[in-house]
Amino acid sequence: MKLKVDKTAMMEGLTKVLSIINPRTTLPVLSNVLLEAKDNKLWLSATDLEVSVQTTVDAEIDTEGDTTLPAKRISSIFRELPSQEVEIDVDEHNSAAIQCGFSFFKVVGISGEDFPPLPRFEGSRNYTLEQGVFKEMLQKTSYASSADETRPILNGVLLSFKGEKLVVVATDGRRLALVEQEVEFPADAEGDLVLPSKTVSELLKTLHDEGQIKIHASENQVAFEFGDMLIVSKLIEGTYPNFRQVIPSQCEERIAVEREGLLNAVKRVSLMANDQTSTVKLGFGKNRLQISTETPDVGEARESLPIKYEGKEIAVSFNPEFMMAPLRFLESDEIYVELTDDLSPGVIKSNVPFLYVLMPMRVG
Amino acid sequence: MSRVFLHVDMDAFYASVEQRDHPELRGRPVVVGSPPNQRGVVSAASYEARTFGIHSAMPSVEAGKRCPHAVFLPVDMPRYKEASETILRILERFTPLIEPLSIDEAFLDVTGAIRLFGEGPEIGRQIKEAIQAETQLTASVGVASNKFLAKLASDLEKPDGLTVVPRTPDKIRAFLAPLPAERIWGVGKVTRLHLSKAGIVTIGDIQRVRLDTLASLVGRHSAHHLKQLAMGEDAREIEMNVEEQSISREFTFMEDCADREELEAILCDLVDDVGRRLRRVEKYASTAHIKVRWTGFETITRQMKLDPPCCDDFQLRKAAMELFGKVELTKPVRLIGFGVTQLHRKVEQQLLLFHDGVPPERAEKLSRTVDQIRSTFGPDSIHSGRGRRL
Repeated sequence: MKLKVDKTAMMEGLTKVLSIINPRTTLPVLSNVLLEAKDNKLWLSATDLEVSVQTTVDAEIDTEGDTTLPAKRISSIFRELPSQEVEIDVDEHNSAAIQCGFSFFKVVGISGEDFPPLPRFEGSRNYTLEQGVFKEMLQKTSYASSADETRPILNGVLLSFKGEKLVVVATDGRRLALVEQEVEFPADAEGDLVLPSKTVSELLKTLHDEGQIKIHASENQVAFEFGDMLIVSKLIEGTYPNFRQVIPSQCEERIAVEREGLLNAVKRVSLMANDQTSTVKLGFGKNRLQISTETPDVGEARESLPIKYEGKEIAVSFNPEFMMAPLRFLESDEIYVELTDDLSPGVIKSNVPFLYVLMPMRVG
Repeated sequence: MSRVFLHVDMDAFYASVEQRDHPELRGRPVVVGSPPNQRGVVSAASYEARTFGIHSAMPSVEAGKRCPHAVFLPVDMPRYKEASETILRILERFTPLIEPLSIDEAFLDVTGAIRLFGEGPEIGRQIKEAIQAETQLTASVGVASNKFLAKLASDLEKPDGLTVVPRTPDKIRAFLAPLPAERIWGVGKVTRLHLSKAGIVTIGDIQRVRLDTLASLVGRHSAHHLKQLAMGEDAREIEMNVEEQSISREFTFMEDCADREELEAILCDLVDDVGRRLRRVEKYASTAHIKVRWTGFETITRQMKLDPPCCDDFQLRKAAMELFGKVELTKPVRLIGFGVTQLHRKVEQQLLLFHDGVPPERAEKLSRTVDQIRSTFGPDSIHSGRGRRL
């Protein structure tokens, strides 16, 4: 295998696949990136056996072939190379000679045959979406997924294709974020996919704002094709909890609040909350929202926001981090907070099809 | 300045109260607890009964066999509580630093009281006298430089004893050396067995054995603990207002029961009762356990974490049923029990979106409402379909 490649293009390609590699893998070939020179392109692939990522880099192919090279080392080398044009020449013993300007490296690789082949499967359900739309849907929801590994299904993000709509949901059992979007797909492609968090973060990193993305799903695998990227991932098995059931059908009060003002006030007040038992209280009174916290042996903080409100007085406590997360990812100036009482779920909505359900903290 | 601790331990407390209140029982073997023809155990035995080998926690049937002419009396807790209160008032005259361990024993730190009442042994004598004069009951007192030694000492010359432990390290070690290892708090049947296999029988043996050797027998943590106590060292202070650390209830069947449904019904009632007491003291539990004693007295316990900590009957029942569900009923059950430990006052709790059954915050409200109804209209006024009031 022999080829010429541009340093910057190669770095970009490596960056896209690198994060999927598990640094603690016990199988040496999985620390490597697969390089395949064919069809006038250089194909780069990496996998942790759950998620596989493949991308292409423009290259001038002299001799076709393949090999695998240690991913971390090769990307450090490319980052530091002195000029743009790089020549890679791999011999039959998978020893790669990298020449760039006056720099020369010889990197020992492992045969491409040892690299697990990218899973190929027939997707029985196929969808096409706008990349930008899909990226935004993931951004607005994925932070709400769980990091606790006792319920693996909640570590993922749900894509539910149903009734001409795609609903994206993430929840950790304490708060839930949901967005929906009208999407065209064949009626027989209705169904749910639960994506592992690693796959979601890979998507968030590599999705563009323009262009389309094709999704092919089988029973337990999914493939995303967009631009020069291919991501193949296992799906999280199991049934996603019935999220519709926990969305309050109606709350007693609906209050419009200025988004950034609320975000900043909660951020400031939470400075006086404790790490372990973090709580801020939202007190809704006539035309006034008071945000406060009180931590024994630490201190207290208070801040008031003017609001338009004539309803009943409600004081409800939330985890400030859970309160702030959706406010960061929304763009609208105004959001709506819907409440019933101090023990019932609160809902945050905006003028886009977004919904955030947040369970209160019970205090005292 | 060296410290002076007292351990005051009432002699055969329940039985002594009975003998005091029923003069015709004085000098006779008295057993307080279940009757000899019923299931259940001895709560206390008078010294006369003890000469027949009867001791507390022995099945009453066994006690009846050992001493058929013993007088069996039911437990009359209110009367013992009253006597206990009187004794506590007496102790408070000597020092405010009192740690009651149970209804019939307490630790006192009298270091500061010496100036007023005389040396430790003198205070011990005065306390014994006052208790005798005002309650006609006898107490045994241990006087020592720490809690461990004081408690150990009070037990050495029962009844009506006053045991003073020497105060210098050398003499303390010599005092402890001949005593059997199980005198050390924390040395139970199992540890004793491990130790005796290595030829460690007395506290003196523990004093002499190397820490490493000890650690290989009982583990590093325990070894360290044992070694310290064997040297007579104990840095614990008097703990006042010790909050309740656990709540439990158990039920002994009249006839051993092998019917799972029946057992579950009883368990439900025990759970509800523990739940009610938990809510009354405004606590939340983070561990639940069940206890099952089979025919033949072999006993197992199973425990699990409650996360988040809770106090409502629904969560507690779920835990109890889950624990009991894993117990295979290979033999009939003699006793079943339920309890909670790791109790805390809860400040805040994140409510959850998904739960099986009743949401915890509603469950707690509901359980508290049931408590109110029961306290107003009686314990039988309301109960869930599952239980069968005990």
